[in-house]
Amino acid sequence: MIDRLALLVRIAARNLLASPINLLIGGLLFAGTLIFVVVGGLLDSVNQAMARSVVGSLAGHVQIYSAKSKDELALFGQMGGDPELAAMTEFPKLKAALEKIPNVQAVVPMGLSGALITSGNVVDRTLESLRGLYRAKSGERKDPELAALSPEELELRIESEKAHVRQIIKVLRGDVEKASKDLLDARAVDPENVAALERVSSPAFWDGFDADPYGSLEFLENRIAPQVTDASLLFLRYVGTDLDAFQQSFDRMRIVKGEPVPKGHRGFLVADLFYEEQMKLKTARRLDKIKDALALGRKIATDDELKRYVKENRTQTRDIVLQLDGLKTRQAVEALQPFLNSAEDDLELLLQKLFSTTDENFAARYEFFYAKLAPLLQLYRVRLGDTLTIKAFTRTGYIQNVNVKVYGTFAFTGLEKSPLAGNTSLMDIMSFRDLYGYLTSDKAAELKELQQETGAKAVSREDAEAALFGEETGDVVAEATPGLIDVDAQLTGTGRKLHQEDLARRVYSQEEIDSGVVLNAAVMLKDARLLDATLAEINRVGEAEHLEIRAVSWQKASGLLGQIIGVFRVLLFVGVAIIFFIAMVIINNAMMMATIHRTQTIGTMRAIGAQRSLVLAMVLVESVVLGLVFGGLGMAGGAAVLAAIAATGIPAPNDVMYFFFSGPRLVPAVTVTPLVIAQVLVLFVTVASTLFPAWVATRISPLRAMQAED
Amino acid sequence: MDAIVSIRDVTKDFHLGETVVQALRGVTLTVQKGEFLSIAGPSGSGKTTLLNLIGCVDTATTGVVEVAGRNTASLSERALTNLRLNTIGFIFQSFNLVSVLNVFQNVEFPLLLQNKLTAGERKKRVVSLLEQVGLHTHMKHRPNELSGGQRQRVAIARALVTEPLIVLADEPTANLDSATGEAIIDLMKALNQTRGTTFIFSTHDHKVMRHANAVVRLADGKVLGRETPAEAAAHALGQEPAKEARAS
Repeated sequence: MIDRLALLVRIAARNLLASPINLLIGGLLFAGTLIFVVVGGLLDSVNQAMARSVVGSLAGHVQIYSAKSKDELALFGQMGGDPELAAMTEFPKLKAALEKIPNVQAVVPMGLSGALITSGNVVDRTLESLRGLYRAKSGERKDPELAALSPEELELRIESEKAHVRQIIKVLRGDVEKASKDLLDARAVDPENVAALERVSSPAFWDGFDADPYGSLEFLENRIAPQVTDASLLFLRYVGTDLDAFQQSFDRMRIVKGEPVPKGHRGFLVADLFYEEQMKLKTARRLDKIKDALALGRKIATDDELKRYVKENRTQTRDIVLQLDGLKTRQAVEALQPFLNSAEDDLELLLQKLFSTTDENFAARYEFFYAKLAPLLQLYRVRLGDTLTIKAFTRTGYIQNVNVKVYGTFAFTGLEKSPLAGNTSLMDIMSFRDLYGYLTSDKAAELKELQQETGAKAVSREDAEAALFGEETGDVVAEATPGLIDVDAQLTGTGRKLHQEDLARRVYSQEEIDSGVVLNAAVMLKDARLLDATLAEINRVGEAEHLEIRAVSWQKASGLLGQIIGVFRVLLFVGVAIIFFIAMVIINNAMMMATIHRTQTIGTMRAIGAQRSLVLAMVLVESVVLGLVFGGLGMAGGAAVLAAIAATGIPAPNDVMYFFFSGPRLVPAVTVTPLVIAQVLVLFVTVASTLFPAWVATRISPLRAMQAED
Repeated sequence: MDAIVSIRDVTKDFHLGETVVQALRGVTLTVQKGEFLSIAGPSGSGKTTLLNLIGCVDTATTGVVEVAGRNTASLSERALTNLRLNTIGFIFQSFNLVSVLNVFQNVEFPLLLQNKLTAGERKKRVVSLLEQVGLHTHMKHRPNELSGGQRQRVAIARALVTEPLIVLADEPTANLDSATGEAIIDLMKALNQTRGTTFIFSTHDHKVMRHANAVVRLADGKVLGRETPAEAAAHALGQEPAKEARAS
């Protein structure tokens, strides 16, 4: 038997090189296997890298959400906004139940939402400051900082702020004049705005300013401030979570600027990329981008994108000019003149000159900008330590405000530049619950206090009629409708401020953090390879303990993004299927030709006593040898190509790919599994495409041996 | 002598579209063990068809073909293959060696199919046969490295390696020059005499017929008679036969 097989292999091996057709088939198999191993290996690496990104940045290995939810969880968004998730009210029970599962490392509570935030308009801020100064001057306001100033200093500050306002007006007039030059835009300029600008530009307005400072300020607030459009709404995506548990579980997370939110405190951490992209002064951001690009070897002289940045920096100096008051403007001009070797005293022209950067002067000007100008400017719309007012629609549809201190910014190691990972900020879960309209322990306590003070009874809708008009219904249980009491609306002035400070200072216990509503929860596993089994176990525990939860893998939880992975896979399978289908057709044809070519040999074998089964085995062994030899070569070639790629890695072509590459470079790993799959696939393809020719070969009559060779 | 092949009243029809070609028309023939028999006749007379029936690679339309005592019509395809493997050796006009195997492997091939001997026994037998055909120095050669005569010697060794009862040779000298052809027939004859193997070969070359014990002459699918080589040679030269044909 072994001797016979050895003979067949020998015949196959000899035939392999004897026939040019075999070399053609072999070439095809080699190419197909090589492509499969390389492309498949790369896609696998992308898939694994993306898994690391998704698991490490937000999802954890498993996501849990309420089984009552209307939509499926989609952490990275889906068509038509965020999914509608039902709240999970018994998080402590859930956490305790899941943490009993041996492979579960941690359960992190979460709530994903989005909100609009506004950062103040520069005119508003300047006018507010001017109003404060006038109040201090008149003694109306006892601001400790301003009270310490001497009357002369106060006067100097007032003059500086007035110069700032006049500078803003100058910029605005420039805008209007520019628009008027263009006929189309001229029609769009509101004559009332032009008239208001005329008035505030006149020396008469400023001469009479001190006579009625509040009236003048009001005119500026009502007529000029709306014309400045630098204030913009920002859409902020955030996850409300147990910040401490989050940082411990998602170990790729690190604080970039500022500090972590102290344990148990309310606080906000802005995603660093979002902070840089959306909240930084645009000019400074563009300078950073040019610097990064130059470091990568790109040149302003030849790169269209960099040319555009330079042009935008040169033409969009307005944001900087608007920010600087009189004193700072002078400081800026005094710094710029010697640096640029210019006698010009117009700040805008000096800035235009500064930002006319080239490959040669960029480094020096970048350094100058950050050393001399940046200290005069507010580089970020929201500063670390600021309190951010976040407005969001609660689930019942009204708008809720939460003030929360920004402690710092964070990023996930390797994903610093990925918009997908760097777009979601973090908020403490208590603030999230406030914002989302759930009763927090604070609000519950306040509610109780107010009820006691007023003697009010909270009455549920069902019992309202009875309570108001009739019989005793027994003890009334407080069933607070979310948002029933808006503390911020009730408390004003100092009381409100004290309340906010109190909230900001308050340290919440782990129990308080855990007990309350969450929308979803991330589960981190000890061994990620056991994901499927653990997922099944979580679902089983969920059912056994009536937790009413759905547990999904990170892939499913990532929504659209998860579907992208699926699409990649389908594309690979379709691609490979096409390649191998073509290969099968060609192999089938080639094998048919080879069989016909060998009719006499096969006929001879049959005549001298070979059974049909031996002929079948001979053709099949030949295709197996073909598959093994050329598939093996393709496999080795593919592994070599992957190893060569892995030596340097593939740089992420753009920021989006950072997420898919889980870092700046994709380093594909050469693993055994895809190689084995490739080999099995090749053998399947060769054997399957040889079956028909092999059957035809078995039908060759021994009579063919008797016919003289052509 | 025992009959090794017995053919009675055999016809063989081939269907070519609508027309039916009768290749054999009622052939009756007995071959005794140890004979060195030539089947002669012009092209299209039915020589190859008759050899195919004896060689069990084809079956008769009507009549009985018995090879080594077995009626081929009653055997399955698989049994016929086994019969060929164990009872019959083939020598072809075009040698029909497996081009990718060397001389030794070509000769060894039927033994591997039989799967009866150990590797050592196979080697011994193959080497001994190659010595008998004078090619033991060429065992590692591939067929394309041999002359026509050498290739046919390899084919003879292959035909004899399983020690068959009958060796069939279809025009074994047709692709060889006359000297080589005669040498091949001499070799076959020598093996016939030393081993007692029955040889049946077809030819239309009277020089080749000369070596046979008897010549069966065919024409138009019929046996004209069994003759001595001399009678057959006379026929081939267009003379009247010396005696009446002795059909058996």
